[in-house]
Amino acid sequence: MAEMWISMGPQHPMTHGLWTLKVKVDGETVVDTEPDLGYIHRGVEKICESRDFTQITTYCDRLCYASANTWSHSYIYAVEDLLEVEVPERAEYIRLIAVELQRIASHLMWLGAYAPDIGNLTIMVWGLREREMMMDLLQELGGSRMHYNFPRVGGVKRDLPHGFAQRARAKVSLFLNRIQEYEALYDESTIFLIRTQGVGYSKPEEMVNHGVSGPNLRAGGVNYDVRQAHPYSVYHELDWEPPVERPSIKGADCYDRYRVRIEEMRTSANLILEALDRIPGGADTYHEPGDPMILGKSPSRAPEGTSGFHHFEDSRGESMFYIAGGGEGRGKQPYRVSIRSPIFITIPYAAKCMIGHKVADIPAIMGSFDPCIGETDR
Amino acid sequence: MGKVVSSSAQRESAQELINDIDSIKGVEAEVVERTNGTKTRNIVRIICKPENWRKLAKRLKKKHKIDYCSMITGIHWPEAGPEKNWELVYHFLRTGINDPPVIQGMVEPIISDPTKVQGNKIPLEIEVKIYLSETREPTIDSVQDIWIGADWNEKETWDLVGIGFAGHIGMRRVLQPHETPLGFHPLQKQHKLRYHDFEEMYDDAQGFQRKPQDTGKIK
Amino acid sequence: MVDDGQNYSVFNSRMLVDTVGNITDEALKATKIKDVIGVLVGRIFNWSQRKSLFPLHLGIKCCALEMAAAGASRFDAERFAVFFRSSPRQCDVLLVNGPITKKFADPIVRLWEQMPEPKWCIAMGECAISGGPYFQSYNVLEGVDTVIPVDVYIPGCPPRPEALIDGFDKLRQKIIRIGTLPNDSRPEAAKPIIIGDD
Repeated sequence: MAEMWISMGPQHPMTHGLWTLKVKVDGETVVDTEPDLGYIHRGVEKICESRDFTQITTYCDRLCYASANTWSHSYIYAVEDLLEVEVPERAEYIRLIAVELQRIASHLMWLGAYAPDIGNLTIMVWGLREREMMMDLLQELGGSRMHYNFPRVGGVKRDLPHGFAQRARAKVSLFLNRIQEYEALYDESTIFLIRTQGVGYSKPEEMVNHGVSGPNLRAGGVNYDVRQAHPYSVYHELDWEPPVERPSIKGADCYDRYRVRIEEMRTSANLILEALDRIPGGADTYHEPGDPMILGKSPSRAPEGTSGFHHFEDSRGESMFYIAGGGEGRGKQPYRVSIRSPIFITIPYAAKCMIGHKVADIPAIMGSFDPCIGETDR
Repeated sequence: MGKVVSSSAQRESAQELINDIDSIKGVEAEVVERTNGTKTRNIVRIICKPENWRKLAKRLKKKHKIDYCSMITGIHWPEAGPEKNWELVYHFLRTGINDPPVIQGMVEPIISDPTKVQGNKIPLEIEVKIYLSETREPTIDSVQDIWIGADWNEKETWDLVGIGFAGHIGMRRVLQPHETPLGFHPLQKQHKLRYHDFEEMYDDAQGFQRKPQDTGKIK
Repeated sequence: MVDDGQNYSVFNSRMLVDTVGNITDEALKATKIKDVIGVLVGRIFNWSQRKSLFPLHLGIKCCALEMAAAGASRFDAERFAVFFRSSPRQCDVLLVNGPITKKFADPIVRLWEQMPEPKWCIAMGECAISGGPYFQSYNVLEGVDTVIPVDVYIPGCPPRPEALIDGFDKLRQKIIRIGTLPNDSRPEAAKPIIIGDD
């Protein structure tokens, strides 16, 4: 049987972003794959070398557009490591609420985009409907529907608005009930189960060697979470466990990765509810922007020779920023910003997982690793 | 309240690693404590000479079970002197993960308690800095066979910064278009951004300070 | 007469068809019915074109999420007959929602050329209008209108779904103005419109 290369080209309804996946098929079986990235490479790392530290936050929002808050917070933690800034505790709680809300919104976007690939078009409407709920809350916090530019060096831009706590509790509790509807729709759909179980096996040690982390790794049966292993923010003060899934004997398949994300949405919702209860100063008090309760003092220059980095648990894995100080403006701009994107490392691994399966399994495997090409191509 | 790895355990483990690494020639290591936000973390910072890099990498992987290559950064320092012209920063993590066992036909997920991990399972952050001297074509040994996660990181570093990796199989452009001319690596400092010299774009974006052409002329 | 099974031997003569067509054409022109039919059919075509715009399933960057949100249940662009299709051969509108890099310039021109006439292009978001926040980058083109003729610009970063629906509305008004001629023969009145310019 002749083998041929097929290009699932940049414009494709199922690739979740702009990249090419060239597959070598022998009949219907995939024999080899080659991903081709770079269609939205904007050169953000180069642009950041001529921007101030506060201006770069807007670029980091647009790295992974489905989960903007996690990326801008990841950057801000690295800047705070570079400038050695103390962050007030109330600001950390507000950041945690923003990040976990964004994590839920990102997983909902994934949910809404994954099911139509499998054939279940209803979930797209449901997932986006819930996402609108979370985006309303984020709009109150940050000011816009996407790309909030929310954290500042040393704190956050604004405090929780009036009445936010009450609305957040109501919406998040409603969402916790709605997750059961999703589970019912997915788990009782035979087609979904057939298409995702037994497809795309991955084992934890292999994944770690490749550099995969986050929910994809936890689907393999290990509870490695950067929020626990290299703790930052106030996760150590809240009572939570990272969700782990029991995989099949050959490894974690697409169904396990889907289940981990559903559990992660539950964990994030519970974290938000708990954080609203324990925030210092109460969730109903409002401080003006710039108040020391929500914004700490920070130097604005980083002299040459300093560097800062931070590992952060993004919705898709472990993201990292490395910033070298000593740039233009006598240190007001960074010399080099280096960005680690989890999906940049996961896509070659996902391409390897597809070998041996049929062409029809490609969207299922690709979608289950949750690619977001904005952060891949930077 | 929530269970996280304790700082002191991390510090001890980091110190053990350093005591072992210091025996390799050309390697200097230290434990650095960083406080950011509300939590302190202990990082291992290693400065390595380029000739000893592979030996250090193999020792890290085999003996200390550093199994996760996080990121490889290449920096071009044209003004830092001939010895430190190129800098490579590697970041690793130790995750302490094993494949979950199969007990009675079902996989038992490993739920490890972070407060009770010991020895080679304590999570650690490691940073390795390598300085290369001034040259047109900097090269360093590749660690593609030691950590598979370093594969695409190395491709990206070569693509954007221009640091070559000796022994890397399948080096190609991964973010820029494939037709980019050889030798064009945008993150080197001699390449400037578009409109880099248009200062008025930043100083006065709306043009309020602009004055008419014949200002100051005696009429 | 070849017995092919597919051959309609009555109309085997091309000359016959041409002659009959020419005679009918002259007759209609003489009685001015041709103008009336032209206007009516033109109006019907124009109405059907603008009431069923099929954009392409192309999601480049962040504005694509707002495009998806516009198609979801809260903003519901489908009630305005905006229905996304996956193949460029079946589309009217190319909705460009992200920055165009050097690598993607060639594919997007190829997508544009694959779309049959009449076709329109909407540049959504700052990156497609002028390069956006990445205008200084070495890899980003300064706006999609360097490679493709654009009809409607929708500013915003990202524009709200309501702005996108308004953009489709402005495109409909533009189609009423300029008709459905192929791109080469559009009159000068077909200048691109910018949302918020009134």
